[in-house]
Amino acid sequence: MKFIKNHLMFILPLMAILLGIEFFLVFDRTTDSYEKGLKEGYSMLVVAKKTMALEELKQLNAHIDSSENIKRESIVAQIAKGVNKSSAEEILQALPHFYSVRLDSYVSTSDLEKIKKDLEKDKNIRSVETFGSSYSSSYRLFSFIKFTLRIFIVFMGVISLFLIIKQMEIWKYAHKERMQIMEIFGAPLMLRSGVLFKVALLDALIATMVTGALFLYLKFRWAGQSGIDIMMQNQDALFKITDIAILLAAAVTIVVFAVYMVVFSSAGAQE
Amino acid sequence: MSNVISASHLTLAYDRGNKEIIKDANFNIKKGDFVFITGPSGSGKSTLLKALYGQIKPSEGNLVVGGLDLASARQSKLQDLRTHMGIIFQDYKLVNEWTVAKNVVLPLMIAGYSMDVQHTQAQRLLKHVKLSEHADRYPMELSGGEQQRVGVARALSKNPVVILADEPTGNLDEYSSNVIWDLMENACQQLETTVLVVTHKIPSIFSLPYRHFIIESKGVYEVH
Repeated sequence: MKFIKNHLMFILPLMAILLGIEFFLVFDRTTDSYEKGLKEGYSMLVVAKKTMALEELKQLNAHIDSSENIKRESIVAQIAKGVNKSSAEEILQALPHFYSVRLDSYVSTSDLEKIKKDLEKDKNIRSVETFGSSYSSSYRLFSFIKFTLRIFIVFMGVISLFLIIKQMEIWKYAHKERMQIMEIFGAPLMLRSGVLFKVALLDALIATMVTGALFLYLKFRWAGQSGIDIMMQNQDALFKITDIAILLAAAVTIVVFAVYMVVFSSAGAQE
Repeated sequence: MSNVISASHLTLAYDRGNKEIIKDANFNIKKGDFVFITGPSGSGKSTLLKALYGQIKPSEGNLVVGGLDLASARQSKLQDLRTHMGIIFQDYKLVNEWTVAKNVVLPLMIAGYSMDVQHTQAQRLLKHVKLSEHADRYPMELSGGEQQRVGVARALSKNPVVILADEPTGNLDEYSSNVIWDLMENACQQLETTVLVVTHKIPSIFSLPYRHFIIESKGVYEVH
């Protein structure tokens, strides 16, 4: 019982840190695709006096990715119903050129304002409509979700680190005497810390496997059946096989750091 | 015969040199010498022993053990030196979660001997200290005298060049004390091991010729 308790006291905080890392990776991947969706779903309207090529627009601001000329004929057809052909032709000549402009990334609202100003500096551009209010609310919600999740992950990491430090104190208490006796008889550092390393590495392996298994379950069983759109659409992003290597590397780094802290703080035998 | 231990103008101090325990000590100890170090409580006997196995660095002067100047020795060299020493403590310093046999072969384990050699040596040494039947027991299951015999067996396990003993019989009854003295006398006589024993009182049953140092008023003096 004590054996299991001792292991769990390290495995659980380590798992909390690994979960935090995995949440971060998953969130980063899903927000990337969400951000891509937002970006693709957004376009601004540019009203120009003359036809404008994409290159001309790109020179005004580097965020501009593509532009599409909105056919004026269809606008005229809507507004000039019942008007004779020559009058419709005049209306068409008088109408400015409309462009639906897409950006290369999901920029902040301040960047959006800057793009607008850059475009409006051109004397051929009459006006720019950014639909800023709906963009701004989407962007703020997106930023808020990103921020709160990051705060949560950092908070979880800090609490887990405290728990790991507590466990290090227990390790120190349990292994200090043996390590000091071995030190007196000339045992090198690796031999002194060997037992502790084995225990800690085993815990790191268990924590990595359990965390990986949890996310594999989420990916293959839960996400598909959850009925939650964002989960179902981003099922692939939930867990990647390379994440195991990242989690294991993080767990081993924490273990090596924790064990060496214990070993060095136990060095120097006291009578 | 060459010196195994040599101290020249040796000063030992705690608290970054502010609290001197031993000052300007000079002595030489040769191979095969059996040395008793006595002195009042707090005089610095144990401190001198700690300095001899490199736990405390000399503040001033030189302390050379087995050809290694401990004042300037690197940690790896100190570790190497300790593998040639047998150290015995008043409070035994056995690893309680290890069996008696495993405790005895700790120096062999550190030196990288095979499990077979360790097993054979453990049997031989435990027979030597009359604890064969306790090989698989744990230190806490033994009496104080038995634990100290395990400590002596551990100190002898790698035929050390020097044995350092800090009040080895301090907690033991007369019978157990006599057994311990007997074991150390044999090591010194048969293996020509240099033995330094810190003690309050030189045992009356001791039969070997020995040297006697007294630590008093920060000085180390030999009694002739």
